[in-house]
Parts: sequence; C-alpha cells; structure tokens
Amino acid sequence: MNLIREIWQSIVRRDPLSTDKGKSELVFLNVWLHIHPAKVKKENMKFRHTFYLGFITFFLFLILLTTGIALMVYYRPYPPQAYQDMKDLQFAVFMGTFLRNMHRWAAHGMVICVFLHMCRVFYTGSYKKPRQFNWVIGVLLLLLTLSLSFTGYLLPWDQLAYWAITVGTNIGSYAPLIGGQLRELLLGGHSVGEGALIRFYVLHVAVLPAAMILLTIVHFWRVRKDGGLSRPVWKLKGKKEELVTIGAPAVAVPMQASAASKDKTYGLMEVVSGKPIFETVTPEEEEDTVFSYPYAFVREAVVLMATVTTVMTMSLFLNAPLEELANPAKTPNPAKAPWYFLGLQELVSHSAFLGGVVAPALMVLALLAIPYLDRNPSRRPRDRKLILWLFTIFVVANLALIVIGTFFRGPGWAMVPPWVHVVGGAE
Amino acid sequence: MNRREFFKISWGTVGLAALVSGVGVSLAAVVRFLMPSVFYEPPQSFKIGEPGDFPFGPPTFLVAEKIFVFRDREKGFAVASAVCTHLGCTVAHFSSDQRFHCPCHGSVFAADGSVQHGPAPRALDWFEVTMARDGKLLVNKDKVVPPNYRLMV
Ligand code: HEM
Ligand code: FES
Repeated sequence: MNLIREIWQSIVRRDPLSTDKGKSELVFLNVWLHIHPAKVKKENMKFRHTFYLGFITFFLFLILLTTGIALMVYYRPYPPQAYQDMKDLQFAVFMGTFLRNMHRWAAHGMVICVFLHMCRVFYTGSYKKPRQFNWVIGVLLLLLTLSLSFTGYLLPWDQLAYWAITVGTNIGSYAPLIGGQLRELLLGGHSVGEGALIRFYVLHVAVLPAAMILLTIVHFWRVRKDGGLSRPVWKLKGKKEELVTIGAPAVAVPMQASAASKDKTYGLMEVVSGKPIFETVTPEEEEDTVFSYPYAFVREAVVLMATVTTVMTMSLFLNAPLEELANPAKTPNPAKAPWYFLGLQELVSHSAFLGGVVAPALMVLALLAIPYLDRNPSRRPRDRKLILWLFTIFVVANLALIVIGTFFRGPGWAMVPPWVHVVGGAE
Repeated sequence: MNRREFFKISWGTVGLAALVSGVGVSLAAVVRFLMPSVFYEPPQSFKIGEPGDFPFGPPTFLVAEKIFVFRDREKGFAVASAVCTHLGCTVAHFSSDQRFHCPCHGSVFAADGSVQHGPAPRALDWFEVTMARDGKLLVNKDKVVPPNYRLMV
C-alpha cells in the first residue's frame, strides 16, 4: 500500500486537488498542462467568445496524426500499389474503411475549422498588439494545413488524385522565372509519376507534420506569452481599452532584473523581479478568475470528445471517395481539384497567371500584413466598420468562388447550374 | 584600433563569412540533391509504328504518348500534342467539329492547334515526325514544329 502511494507520489508530486495549491501545481508541474495558466478568466471560457475553434482544429490534427500513422502501416507510396492499398484498406483491412474515412473527414474538417478560427480571430480584433506575430504564425499554420491536404490528396493514386495534382502543380509552373524548375523539384520529374508520389508522401507524413507540430507549439506558447486569450469583445467599454489581457494596467512596469536578496545565489526566475505584464491580475479581476482545474480542462475535454464523436459518426455513414486507378491518358470531365481549391481553380479557368499565381500570392501577403497595416487600436466592432466590411467581402468572395467551382461547373468547365442534369457530358 | 579590436573584428568577419558560405553551399547542395539526375521517364523520342498502322481520316490517339497522329491522303503525317497548354489536362479531338476540347477549364483549339476559346495561353504543340531507317515513324517531342509541318510517305 505504501509502495503504491510512493509510486503515485513520485509521478504526480503535487498537493491534493482539494487544495488551491494542488490545483495550481497540477498545472505548472505538468509539462503538458502548463501551457495553461493556473487560473483563467471566466469570460474567456465562454463558448461564444472563441467557439473553441482553435481547440477543435488542434483535436482534428491529433485525429489526423493517429489515423495517419495507422494508415501508413498498409500504405506503399508507389504506383500502382498505392491504389491497390487503398482498395485493401477499403475491403480487406479490419476497420480500414473506417480509419480512412476518419482521416479524410478530419482533414476536411480541419480545413474548415482552421478557416473559421481565423475568421473568429479577425472579427474579435485579436490580432492586434501584442498578438500581431501570433496571427502571422496562424497564417503559416493555415498554409501548412492546405499543403498537408494537397499532398495527401495525391496518395490514393486514383483519377481524382492524379488530375487534381496535375492541374495543381501546373498552376505553380506559371510562377515567373523559377516556375518550371519549382514544379520539377516538387514532382521529381516532368509529369506526375512515381517520383511525384514518393515526394508527396515524404512531405505529407514527415516534413509538413513536423513543421505543423513545431509551429503549433510556438502558436500555443505565444497565446500564453501575449497575455492569454484576448478579452471578449462584449466586455470592451473604452475605445482604447487594454489590448493586453488579463487586465495589464495601462502603466504596467516592465520587468527589471535585480537581486532579490543578498545572501543567496539565484536562478533567473528569482532575479527578475516584478511580474511580467501578462500575468498581472488586479484584485477586482481576481474575482472573475477560476482555477483551470477543473473548469477549463473539463470544457476542453468536452470539446475533444465532441470532435472525436462527430468524426467517428460521420465515418460510420459516409465513405471517403475512391475513383478508378489513375490514368494519365484519360482526363475526367470535368476534372476538379479538392473543394477548398475550387475557388482557385475557378480563378485559374480565367487566367492561369493572374488567377493561379498573382491572386493567391496577394491574398497570402494581405493576410500576413493585416496586423501591421491595421493601425486602429480599438477592438470594438463599432470602431472598425470599414475593415470588418473589407474582410467580409474577402470571405464572401472566396466562398462564392468555391460554390461556383463546386456546384456550377460542369463538363468542359461550362457553367451548368446544379439543378440541370447533364447526361453523359461531352465525350 | 588596437590589437585586440583588430583581432576581434577580423576573426568575426572570417567566422561570419564561413557561416554564410557554409549555409549557402549546403542550401545549394540540398536543392541540387532534390533535383533528380536521372529521370526514369519514357524517352522524348520514340517510334510509333509503320505508316500503314495509321488510318486516314480522324486522328489516332496514342494513350501512353499523349499524342494525336494525323494522316492525310494528300498532305501526309502530322503529330499533335494532346497536352493542354493551360494546365496539362489531356484534350480530346472531336470529329464533329474537327477541334480539340480540354475537359478541365474548357479551352478549345482549332484544327491547326491554335487557341479559339478558353484560358489556354498558346497553341497545342506539333512534334517532328520522321521516318526511321527501319521504315517506322519516329516522333521527337523535343522538336516542336510549325502546324503546317508534314511528313510525306
Ligand atoms: C502527421 C499526420 C499525418 C499522417 C501520418 C498522414 C498520413 C497519411 C497517409 C498514409 C495517407 C494515405 C492513406 C489515405 O489516403 O487514406 C494519407 C492521406 C490523406 N491525408 Fe494524411 N496524414 C497526416 C495528416 C494530415 C493532415 C493534417 C491533413 C489535412 C488537413 C491530411 C489530409 C489527407 C488527405 C486529404 C488524404 C487523402 C485521404 C484519402 O484518400 O482518403 N493528412 N495521410
Ligand atoms: S488544362 Fe486545359 S483548359 Fe485548363
């Protein structure tokens, strides 16, 4: 009995959770949990502040990691075995279809949620000082998510995969000067073939996930270091009200290094006196905070379970598509990219260079620059009407292009409304 | 400048130069590494068969090579690329209107390969076709020829 207790205490080393000290220690003695503050503001846990979209995105990524690793066991990145392995996963491997479905639907969900999360951050003005750089990290995470999807899309080596990637990589070759070489580098050849498949595989299972994990860590760290979540918009009263959260007083004193007492040698934490701005909690605000354990953790756990359950349920009823084996000679008509790139494909159908290179490059640059160009200090919606309108137009335009590309384009990329049924299409 | 400063600056410069060139060379090496030296791809120049294998009239589509072989009684042989110049989809030749249609973004090419409609930036390629010594037709995809090029047999 004593031994068991000793083992347990060697693992947790904290006071019982019934005490405040124990609740704090649970957080900061644990490498996984200490990304949270020991105490959080009640208002920041409100669903209608963040919709937990960042969490959902992260949990979907965890699902992708686990199901992806499982799929790797049965997948050979070599044509035509790659396609055979897809068929095996569908018909021979125990739970293969289910795992593949989970991977597919979580991937789509991740694209949707990462986009919605970006919108939430924009509409609440949470990219403003001091969070500008974390917004930039976020844009990179969005690009990584899209790249992961794009590279994953080729792996099943079916018609859908083959032609989406043929069209997609050809867009890249319109980039001035280096376009052609860039494509050759990515494909390891002049057209989509076995060289391209192994390269996409390496990107998809090693390079991009590693980059994603590293940047996610930076992203979370910065949320903490930038003062925790921004205050909910509905709590902002004054025009310039603190951009820094957890109520940093307007006149916060920056950190200073000084010896705290004379008769000891100190670690850095002890020498730096005065609290960092972001952890200053004024007494009135102290009342609005609760311990992360259990309040924040329970909410996150609920979101995790809801995410997993949703993906699992979808995967029971909806199967990830798999078409015929890739056939370089026969282009399906119409040949469409994955839905989230159909806006791009729609632009490309008008001009490959303007729509495929210039427009996306400008969009990414604009996204990256937002926090540095928007110099309005207020986060209150009524002070930011113009930019809210501009962003809304950007979002709606993107969605409209995707809807047109998805539902209104028929054989030969002709305008065909979804309610008209095309029989056979052009040969 | 005293002796100490001199050494500090010169060693600093040397060190920085070493670092920059080291990183530069490594990056160049990585890019070169990623660029395959050998392409295990079908050759750009290949034989497609005897002239007699190809009928007159509508073109013959060769699947693996992605080319159309035209044979005309008066004018002889011509070979057109089936790869759309927009984003690389494979075009189809419709005998109904004698034109090439791309399924991806709707480009249409006239009988001579020129763009008539859609986003394709330039005409379809025509490739050189010659007679090899063994009497077979030899297509060279590295040699693009004008659309009026013909091989008389
Ligand atoms: C590090 C984590 C990941 C690993 C190890 C991984 C691994 C794999 C493997 C082995 C496949 C081929 C099997 C298959 O197609 O089902 C695949 C496919 C795919 N992956 Fe991932 N993946 C990861 C993350 C992601 C992420 C983050 C996304 C997108 C947001 C994504 C999107 C896709 C897509 C769209 C496919 C095609 C799926 C299908 O055909 O059903 N993957 N992945
Ligand atoms: S690839 Fe032919 S029109 Fe786009």
